[in-house]
Amino acid sequence: MGRVTLKGLLAHKLRLALTAVAIVLGVTFISGTLVLTDTLHATFTTLFGHAYQNVDFEVRGKAAFTDNSGGGGGAVRKPVPDSILTTVRQIPGVAYAAGTVTGYAQFVAPDGKAITTGGAPTIGLSFDPNPELSALRVVSGHGPTAGNQVAMDAGTATKYHFHVGDRVRVLLIGPPQTFTISGIVTFGSADNLAGATLAAFDLGTAQQILGTPGHFEAIDILTRSGTDKAQVQRAIARTLPSGVEVVTGQTVADEATTSINQALSFFSTALLVFAFISLFVGGFTIFNTFSIIVGQRTRELALLRIVGASRRQVFRSVLIEALLLGLVASLVGLGLGVLAALGLEALLKGFGITLPTGPLVFASRTVIAALAVGIGVTVMSAIGPARRAVRIPPVAALADYRSDQAESSRRRIVIGSVVAVMGIAALIVGLTRPAIQLVGIGAVAVFLGIGMLAPVVARPMSSVIGRPLARLLGIPGRLGRENSMRSPRRTAQTSSALMVGLALVSTIAVFGASLSKSATSSVDEAVSADYIITGSNAGAGGFSASVAAAAAGIPGVSAASTVYNGEFEVQRSLATLTAVSTRRLSETVILRMDAGTGAPALAAGQLLIDSTTATTKHLVVGSVVPVKFAQTGVSTMRVGGIFKPNALLGSYLVGDGFFLAHFDRPLPVAVLLHTGGSTGATTRAVNAGLSAYPNLKIQTRTEFQKSQQAQVNQLLGLVYALLALAVLIALIGIVNTLMLSVFERTHEIGLLRAVGMKRRQVRSMIRSESVILSLFGAVIGVVVGTALGVAFASSLKQQGITDLVVPVGSLVVFVVLAGLLGLAAASWPARRAARLDVLAAIAAD
Amino acid sequence: MTLTDQPPTGAPVPEPPPAARAVDLVKTYGAHDAVVRALDGVNVEFERGRFTAVMGPSGSGKSTLMHCMAGLDTPTSGHAFIGEQEIGLLDDAGLTQLRRDRVGFVFQSFNLVPTLTAAENITLPADLAGRKVDREWFDYLVGQLGIADRLSHRPNEMSGGQQQRAACARALIGRPDLIFADEPTGNLDSNSSSEMLAFLRRSVTEFHQSIVMVTHDARGAAYADRVVFLADGNVVDELVGPTADSVLERMKQLGS
Repeated sequence: MGRVTLKGLLAHKLRLALTAVAIVLGVTFISGTLVLTDTLHATFTTLFGHAYQNVDFEVRGKAAFTDNSGGGGGAVRKPVPDSILTTVRQIPGVAYAAGTVTGYAQFVAPDGKAITTGGAPTIGLSFDPNPELSALRVVSGHGPTAGNQVAMDAGTATKYHFHVGDRVRVLLIGPPQTFTISGIVTFGSADNLAGATLAAFDLGTAQQILGTPGHFEAIDILTRSGTDKAQVQRAIARTLPSGVEVVTGQTVADEATTSINQALSFFSTALLVFAFISLFVGGFTIFNTFSIIVGQRTRELALLRIVGASRRQVFRSVLIEALLLGLVASLVGLGLGVLAALGLEALLKGFGITLPTGPLVFASRTVIAALAVGIGVTVMSAIGPARRAVRIPPVAALADYRSDQAESSRRRIVIGSVVAVMGIAALIVGLTRPAIQLVGIGAVAVFLGIGMLAPVVARPMSSVIGRPLARLLGIPGRLGRENSMRSPRRTAQTSSALMVGLALVSTIAVFGASLSKSATSSVDEAVSADYIITGSNAGAGGFSASVAAAAAGIPGVSAASTVYNGEFEVQRSLATLTAVSTRRLSETVILRMDAGTGAPALAAGQLLIDSTTATTKHLVVGSVVPVKFAQTGVSTMRVGGIFKPNALLGSYLVGDGFFLAHFDRPLPVAVLLHTGGSTGATTRAVNAGLSAYPNLKIQTRTEFQKSQQAQVNQLLGLVYALLALAVLIALIGIVNTLMLSVFERTHEIGLLRAVGMKRRQVRSMIRSESVILSLFGAVIGVVVGTALGVAFASSLKQQGITDLVVPVGSLVVFVVLAGLLGLAAASWPARRAARLDVLAAIAAD
Repeated sequence: MTLTDQPPTGAPVPEPPPAARAVDLVKTYGAHDAVVRALDGVNVEFERGRFTAVMGPSGSGKSTLMHCMAGLDTPTSGHAFIGEQEIGLLDDAGLTQLRRDRVGFVFQSFNLVPTLTAAENITLPADLAGRKVDREWFDYLVGQLGIADRLSHRPNEMSGGQQQRAACARALIGRPDLIFADEPTGNLDSNSSSEMLAFLRRSVTEFHQSIVMVTHDARGAAYADRVVFLADGNVVDELVGPTADSVLERMKQLGS
């Protein structure tokens, strides 16, 4: 039996290849993601391991908050006073101890533009002259030794052609300053730290311009060789005041690695989700292909039953075929995945994220996951067709046998309905709770259910979709329409993969349009300022706190408000606190109050919360809540007012006076200017007045709205690109089915040719069928996807998606595109059908 | 000569059971108002070591009889036996076992798995059952059938006659209790037909193989030991030691 399976597989290499592509692509995606993230993981582990390999202990502030889940890059800590350094140095066993400081510092390129990193931070840090302690290696020149010197990372120096001795402007929390480059450094063996730029200053300077004078972020300690380290650690711990701790270098390295890995795992999870979507769609095409193959091999399978094959042998033969197919496809996918990882790495380098060079990590887990998922999906998809193969009776081998499947279709409707309803229930529960896994399971169930139910509507819908084609193309169009109608089940199965693909695309379209509209309206509802100034290094780092003061001095600017964000603990959970200027508040910020007061409460140092938070946390005006700040510790705040939710304002709002009293040198996230209208003249004046800060993005309110939308669209573009793979797999499924159909109908096509059908007409017949199949899947997919998108968007109303938009234009474009893609998918099968030798086709059995 | 005609011998030797028999076999098709009685209470026995031909006009039920007796189709009522095994009592696994071990088939067409070579097709039943193939017997069969030089060919590289001969070899390789042949020469030219029928005849004479063959060809039926005539789902006549002429004569009578 194994031989029959193997020979059957080898006899249809083309079919095999087309079916395998779906799995190959999905597995490539999975293994590429795993290899890349494993490699990055290993690289960072090595990097931080090297950076801290000599540091025995680090003294630092204790994590301020018990909940450290939020924020980027680990716990919020209070700096330690430098008096501790003196104490630590006197402890026996301590060979060397030095304070460290890090903060914001951004280089300005020779052309006057701020050097941006495309997302990575721009780090300023203190340089320690002891090479044993420092993670920085000087590769040319020397470390900074005076207040006017800076050491630059090799990545930035190479890219912008800086050399030792050059002068460079550096943007800081305070006013920008110019330094002389004393040396070029690397972080361990890497040119920079994963794309971040590094500006190293001597310790005293770093304290002044990056941190808090008189304080260190941490103290790194080397012990004398031969001492009992645990004993030294205990001795250090005894001298420390409360709120300060001593941990091993290993702990610090592990924490740094862990926080990078969290970011990596978010990245890999997102990629894996799309990989699974591709495989899910691939599963549909495999199911369809195997169904057709089993259908076409009915007589052969029946013959095997007659000469003594048991049901189990038939079942196994179909599954083994799937297993071998899955194995080969997964192995190919695995190989391509490694190449894809190399490609992605190159792509990241192209974005300026220079990674420390390390070998690709090809973990056994990658192999196991890729094979298990690839083979698993293939075999699972083949179970249905295999069960159908088992039900073929031996008499089916005889020429006059006719089967009848009415009963199984009734059963399918019942099962399909149940699955779809359960899926919808899971979706509703998942969205309201919210539980993302449940949403995923629900969506999968909905797609499976609808895939089972689609055959019911396939006939009437193909008829309707095909009518204009039949009118337009005459006989070939009519035959194409008939072909798509004669096997509703196959039509539905073939288009189901495209259905899933387009449903996801439509979901994202509805979701994205709503998000984009919400972003615009949240600006309208929350911002009255004429200019919004943000940092140009999107998402990472801020800009100088002196910008607002500089802007306020520009003629025509009547109000300048700095917006800050910071982490704090409220009612024992971590949250983001937003601060705005209380002076002339209404000229820059709109607060639509539900209860209490706005500006007066902020000025009084009270907390404003949005109505969603008020409802979920059961808070009213006058409630007193426990809060905790990293710098100032535990306190309580009175809720002074409740405002309508707005994504820009966040959930918790305070005045800037209060904020600055509780946060140490915070970086502004935005500065809002009121000018009484934005004309070309005011724009020029504002730009001129802030020319000392090249890292600013100065936008009018309209420009800001546009850029918010552009951000949403950029994200959507990325998601569409990832979903395109699923749509591609669906199209390959259609090509595959059409090829099988053409093969199956050889005799019929030969007959049509014999009675006078032209090649061109044969082609247009096959194309019509393909277009109908694609449009059928697209229409159902768009309808289902729109419903899903509306459900997702509505469920996130509290999270800031306040507007619900169904982008009808885009959805129509998707359907039209699907039709065109269907046309493209048909080109090969159509050519093949047109080329059939008439005589041979008629003679074929 | 039929079993019932056998003269009693001295001692009461237990009669060997027939290779297959049908008792009151009924098969109806279709729903209430349009019922077709393909088999209308057929009683028939096929003796061991004999070559029996089943003849009858189109729609007489000869193929249905064969399918029901071979366990390929389920009768509406009545009983069918292979040896002493009532096949109505077997489940799918039992029927599979029966087809593997005790029955061989040759059909009019589509006898061979298209992706396998002739040799692989011939040994397929043994491979499916996980049995070893009797190499001597295999070589003898392919030699006798004249397909020794065709063994590595796929069905689409063989003539119709060669394909049917490979099917014969496959039916015979497991030395089954009974071979059912359903119009085995229906698609063949007269030369190939004659060779094929002569071979079936020899396998009965030389190896005591039991064969039941459905045919509508009087010359083919003449190779059999006995001809059973079917009409309208019933056995209406039979002929022992037929010749082409005598068979044609009977057919004419039945047709009138």
